[in-house]
Amino acid sequence: MAIVKDSGFEALEKLKSTEPPVFLAPSSKSEEARAASQHLFEKLKPYNPKSPFDELLVDGFDAEQIWQQIDMQSQPLLSSLRQEVNRFAKNPEEIRKLGNLTLKVSQKDDVDEMDMDGSESGDDELEANESEGEEEEDEEDEDEDGDEDEEEKNGDNEGIEDEFFKIKELEEFLEDGEAEEYGIDYKNKKGVAKKKKQNLRDDDDEEDDEEDEDDEFGAFAGGDDEEADKLGKAKYTDFFGGKKKETKVKWKDLSEDEAEFENDQGDVKLSTHEKERVKLQSKIEQMEKANLDPKHWTMQGEITAAKRPKNSALEVDLDFEHNARPAPVITEEVTASLEDLIKSRIIEARFDDVQRAPSMPTKAKREAKEMDESKSKKGLAEVYEDEYVRTANPAFAPTTFSDELKKEASMLFKNLCLKLDALSHFHFTPKPVIEEMSIQTNVPAIAMEEVAPVAVSDATMLAPEEIFSGKGDIKDESELTQEERKRRRAKKKRKFKAESAKEPVKKARDATTGSEGL
Amino acid sequence: MAESTQMEVETATQTAPLPAKPTFKPLKAHEMSDGKVQFRKISVPPNRYSPLKKAWLDIYTPIYDQMKVDIRMNLKGRKVELKTRADTPDISNLQKSADFVHAFMLGFDIPDAISLLRMDELYVESFEIKDVKTLKGEHLSRAIGRLSGKGGKTRFAIENSTKTRIVIADSRIHILGAFTNIKVARSSLCSLIMGSPAGKVYSKLRNVSARLNE
Repeated sequence: MAIVKDSGFEALEKLKSTEPPVFLAPSSKSEEARAASQHLFEKLKPYNPKSPFDELLVDGFDAEQIWQQIDMQSQPLLSSLRQEVNRFAKNPEEIRKLGNLTLKVSQKDDVDEMDMDGSESGDDELEANESEGEEEEDEEDEDEDGDEDEEEKNGDNEGIEDEFFKIKELEEFLEDGEAEEYGIDYKNKKGVAKKKKQNLRDDDDEEDDEEDEDDEFGAFAGGDDEEADKLGKAKYTDFFGGKKKETKVKWKDLSEDEAEFENDQGDVKLSTHEKERVKLQSKIEQMEKANLDPKHWTMQGEITAAKRPKNSALEVDLDFEHNARPAPVITEEVTASLEDLIKSRIIEARFDDVQRAPSMPTKAKREAKEMDESKSKKGLAEVYEDEYVRTANPAFAPTTFSDELKKEASMLFKNLCLKLDALSHFHFTPKPVIEEMSIQTNVPAIAMEEVAPVAVSDATMLAPEEIFSGKGDIKDESELTQEERKRRRAKKKRKFKAESAKEPVKKARDATTGSEGL
Repeated sequence: MAESTQMEVETATQTAPLPAKPTFKPLKAHEMSDGKVQFRKISVPPNRYSPLKKAWLDIYTPIYDQMKVDIRMNLKGRKVELKTRADTPDISNLQKSADFVHAFMLGFDIPDAISLLRMDELYVESFEIKDVKTLKGEHLSRAIGRLSGKGGKTRFAIENSTKTRIVIADSRIHILGAFTNIKVARSSLCSLIMGSPAGKVYSKLRNVSARLNE
């Protein structure tokens, strides 16, 4: 068995060392490949009770047939593995039952060592063996698939992950964020985590393999809630470790402690109260430590931009007092409501139009006295007298120039109105005229009494005699004979002479009277 | 308490009642001066001699009849003399008459000067051009011309808008009117003397006179 195993291992080693392109062409590697696959098959057989084959039949079989055999074995195996992983995910404490085992997938030498050691010491204890076996399985699965770290951890996440999205990277990113937020330096995180884990383990279970990061498998579990708590804070380092040297050291410790594991089991078990106290103490230490550290910049009172990290204000919710009302969000409802309002207003015709404010009743413009550039006719006394009378007794005040102008204007307008009324009415009744002087009209009485419309002109009402009264034969100038014309001219001359004889007499009289004064 | 005050009042009234305050009529002119007669003498400048002769009756009548002040002309001394009579009602009549005659002597017309007799608040103010600005020769003549304006229109304009009467006698200026009106007229005349054009003075006058005549 061992020899076969060794040969199988050697075959595996050889396969690993070959270049990938060699596999593409049929070559001598096929012998080694078959040996390796047989070896693997045997290894996996104990965990697969339902497998129909005891060993992998390779002689004379086609590649396809060999593959089918492997497939038949590995399918149920994979499903059972998945179930196991799920179980462990739900009940982490069960992992501890598996015993002391460390995972060093990244270091192949360690892996081989572990495998070797595991296989040796595994004979003593079934649990360890089981865990180791699982370990080996995991190892082998990983070797088979060629993946290294992620597969073991991400057994559940095969569906989510792809070349772009890695759960591990996501978790690392989240941890970075948390570290920044809570002020813990990322560099020290692992140390802190280590310390934390150390503390926890020291406090928690003394039967644990203390210094090891991936303690989930190494810690002895009492099935307590603390384990769940610890698992909640599990970090990458818990699973896959940090430094090579440390692991080597811790591995040795681990191997030592493995022997003492059973002996210490009884003494280290703590009561619930003690465990809670221990937890509380750890919390207290944490808080004290946080108090000693410099505070986060948001808690430091007045901070200038220089004192806080760059763009850190963007991540914090800052509260400002906004004096201005925020701009209204225009949604469809808002516009619909506005439009309804507009429509209703239009229907009601209730526009809130701005009405012009009524202007103040302007004072009557003071009579702008025209600058009189002539000598005033009134004496100064009279001026003051008039002014006094106007203020004391407005009724008796003599009319000013403007008043007279107004009077004249009103008279003119009255006349105009009368004429317009007469023209525009057929039956026009003039207003009673308050006459200051009696007007004697030389109109015949009939005309005065006639109730004829004004539109009918006077000319038709008058009789021809009233229009013209003349005696004798009336001749036009063109009808006159020469003698007639002479006679008319002579008559005219006589008249003129008679009149001019009167006038010079009058003029002479005026002249004489005028000269008397001088 | 009430009783005590009453008691006090009674005691007060019991003492002899004070005599009533005496009421006196205003003193007449004669009585004020203890029966003596008061004089005023106003000298007549030579240029006002003939106008005085012409308007003598217009001066004499109101003074003698209404003011009840004796008036006479001292031809030798070229003075007009005023004297109170026994029946002069008020001593101010004499002063008013004197002011009236003096105004006539300065050059004001009778109707304008009569206003002094009728109103109390009218005054005559005189000043010289050299008080405002020292001008000599042609400048002085030009200033006088500016003051009067063409045909006297500037002067009339000021007179009409401020309700004053102005007399410009060579380089002397006399203004007759109420106090505030005199001030306005004076300021406009001064600005004219200082050299501002008539149009400017008119505009200022317009504004101020509107306010004055409110």
